[in-house]
Amino acid sequence: MIIHGKLRNRLLAWLLSMMLIVGGLLMMDAWVTSQRSAQRAFDSQLEDALLTMTEAIQWQDDQPRIMMPPAALKILSTRHQERVFYRLIDDEGRVLANNLDIALSAKLQREAAEGDVWHNIHYQGVEWRLHARSVRSAGWERQFRVQVWVGHTIEGREQLARELLTRAMGRILVMGLFAAMMIFITLRLALTPLKRLRHQLRRRQPQDASPLSGTMPEEMRELTDTLEQLFHRQGESRDALLRFTADASHQLRTPLAGVQNAAEFALGSDSPAQWHQALSDIHASAARTSRLAGQLLNLTRLRHLALPTEQDALDLADLLRSVVLEWVDHDLARQHDLGLAELPAQPICVIGEPWALREMIGNLIENALRYTPAGSEITLGLSLEAEGGGVVLSIEDNGPGVDPQMLERLCQPFERAGRQDTDGSGLGLAIVETIALRHQAELQVSNRDAGGLCVHIRFPGRQS
Amino acid sequence: MKFTPDRPLVMAFAIISSIVHIIAPTRVRRAMYRLLLALWASVAILAAAMPVKAAAASTQARLVIEAAMDREVAAPLLAAFTRRYPDVELDYRDRSSMAVNARAQQPDPRVDVILSSAMPWQVALVNQGLAQRLDSDEARQWPQWAKWRDEVFAFTFEPIVMAYRLDLAARMLPPVSHADVLNLLTQHAETLAGRVVAYSPSKSALGYALYLQDSRYSGRFWKLVAALGRVDATLETSTQRMLAGLSDGRYWLGYNLLGSYALQWAQTHPDIIVQMPSDYALISMRTAFIHRHAPHPEQARAFINFLIGREGQHVVAGETPLYSIRDDIVGPFTAQSLRDQVGQRLYPQPLDASSLSMLDTARRNDFLARWFDAYSGGTRRPDGRLRSGRQSLRSHRPPARRPRHPWL
Repeated sequence: MIIHGKLRNRLLAWLLSMMLIVGGLLMMDAWVTSQRSAQRAFDSQLEDALLTMTEAIQWQDDQPRIMMPPAALKILSTRHQERVFYRLIDDEGRVLANNLDIALSAKLQREAAEGDVWHNIHYQGVEWRLHARSVRSAGWERQFRVQVWVGHTIEGREQLARELLTRAMGRILVMGLFAAMMIFITLRLALTPLKRLRHQLRRRQPQDASPLSGTMPEEMRELTDTLEQLFHRQGESRDALLRFTADASHQLRTPLAGVQNAAEFALGSDSPAQWHQALSDIHASAARTSRLAGQLLNLTRLRHLALPTEQDALDLADLLRSVVLEWVDHDLARQHDLGLAELPAQPICVIGEPWALREMIGNLIENALRYTPAGSEITLGLSLEAEGGGVVLSIEDNGPGVDPQMLERLCQPFERAGRQDTDGSGLGLAIVETIALRHQAELQVSNRDAGGLCVHIRFPGRQS
Repeated sequence: MKFTPDRPLVMAFAIISSIVHIIAPTRVRRAMYRLLLALWASVAILAAAMPVKAAAASTQARLVIEAAMDREVAAPLLAAFTRRYPDVELDYRDRSSMAVNARAQQPDPRVDVILSSAMPWQVALVNQGLAQRLDSDEARQWPQWAKWRDEVFAFTFEPIVMAYRLDLAARMLPPVSHADVLNLLTQHAETLAGRVVAYSPSKSALGYALYLQDSRYSGRFWKLVAALGRVDATLETSTQRMLAGLSDGRYWLGYNLLGSYALQWAQTHPDIIVQMPSDYALISMRTAFIHRHAPHPEQARAFINFLIGREGQHVVAGETPLYSIRDDIVGPFTAQSLRDQVGQRLYPQPLDASSLSMLDTARRNDFLARWFDAYSGGTRRPDGRLRSGRQSLRSHRPPARRPRHPWL
């Protein structure tokens, strides 16, 4: 509830419970303090009464005597009109003065002989507070110690403690109410921007990618910035998707139009040779279209494939060798010189998925085969970087190269660098880039100084 | 005291019906209303029958009062109480203050109200925990100086007076102040020899308290005691006995009499003049409290509330010479009328813990020794020992140095 509820309720619950805890602690403190203050106030009256009595001890016939002063009893009784008790005992156990038959245990009397005693007892069903002290009283011939006991009921203490406590509680409660009110108001004010943001987001149209309006507090700026970036990215990706769909439709339309043309041409003719010609055209077109669709499917699948959780290390040199060997016998490679540069002696390990890397190298080779004239040299190579342990896979050809202005866009789908003379779908490099990205590898396309195109794929070192 | 059922029942009815109104649908509501009405009616009928029972129970109520207050003086007050509470059977036991005090301390005294003029002793009883607290409007409104712990309440304001026979007035100028008494005793010592009466400090609780107070307010008190000794004043135990002696002609002059009794007596004995001292007047207050083990606490509370309430105080001010404490009562006997008569120098005994010091054995013995020393004409040497005084003709002997009980 507290964790998952509305932010306002969460804040409120936390703040109020903190306040309750603090309030509870304050009340406990108030209770202890009031008890202690009442005790102290009344204990000092017991002390005063005892002192007054002590001063009234006189000597007569070489015996200590007490002329009980009314003031002592008045002090002892306090203004709360407590019932009073006093007893004076000399060190021979004689009682000099006494007014109630409260029993004082031998232990208490021993303690009183040694020093101050503060003690609470029950007498006649009510609680009394007693205080005792031993005083030295010197006569002419002898010296006596007189134990003076005073005591009173504790109604006044209780009443005073209650009054103090009530007053403190009242203060705490008023402060608490005030604080609670402030918390409510503050929360309302502090959460207003959030509410505004909520309203804005709710009113927003799906295709709207414009930034959010209105000023936000510092803490929320991060959130709104992120939101705006998200809107922006979403807009971009939607645009890319639209573009891709439009391009794909366009690409599919061209071969289909060819098929239609061929079919119409065949229908209008009676010659079986022309039918055969048309059928073979249609077959070629269908094959191209099928390949295009396959490539499209490949690209889409690669782009939406979840990243593998675990990847194994594999020997890239081995892989490269086997793929190149496969392609050497391929129909496409008949008229090209497909070669492999000298590979490093030791196995070259990279982390990756073998099928994806095969696909990538295959696409690179196919690309080179399709976009270079017959007789071109295509060389694949593998080199280890001196620093960082990176691995660079390269493919070079001595074909016509690409217009430098086109280099940037070469990896976008359906980009053929203005070449209409090949059967290439324009998806090869896009697939290569996607796979490279899956392996955190960098793709670099450049023109060679000697003419021809060069593609570098740099895999990061194993340690990074 | 009657049980009044209406207000809580009406409220309960209102609350229940509003709850029903809120929670129940209309059909159920109607049925529940009918049920509630039936319930209400039966409860009301039952409740109407109850006060009769309560009243029937209270007819058996008794109220036992142990009082150190003359029945004659108290009669109008008791009659008024009986008029107000005809169901309460009063058991009024008139005793001496010492007897009342002793009775209150018995383990199971079967007493409801203790009423006495011996204030320090009353305070001591309360201090022993023998009183119950009275929680009522009357008690709360009662002046602070006339109550202690809301347990013991002073309800009279009785001046201490002098009384003399017309015989005395025929021979000399009658006294109007304490100083006059001292002058008369010194100037007419021979005439007055044996014809003066005063309280015994040792045998009367009130007497002791009054002398102690006198010694505090009068600088020439000890001279007065010595003068009393020189005329061989008789020491009595009660105002009634002093008044009887005055009427008999045995005494001509009485010192420190309870004004209430003296005024009452003088109404029927025209040869006795009651004189309120003009310099200062001691005030004795009659106090009452409910005994802790009172068998009829409800009646006892009613009685005390009556005493300190408007009604009781009205009787005190109008029909008894006990003098009312309340300022808002008009009558011949009020504290205010006394102030108009004597002035502001009225000294009531304190009704608080300080009066307990009067009962302290050592202090009491010391005071009595000094009193009898002065009375017998001896003087104190600096070391406090007695020097033997002149031989006296009086019959009273000073008490032993240590009485066997503090309030002998």
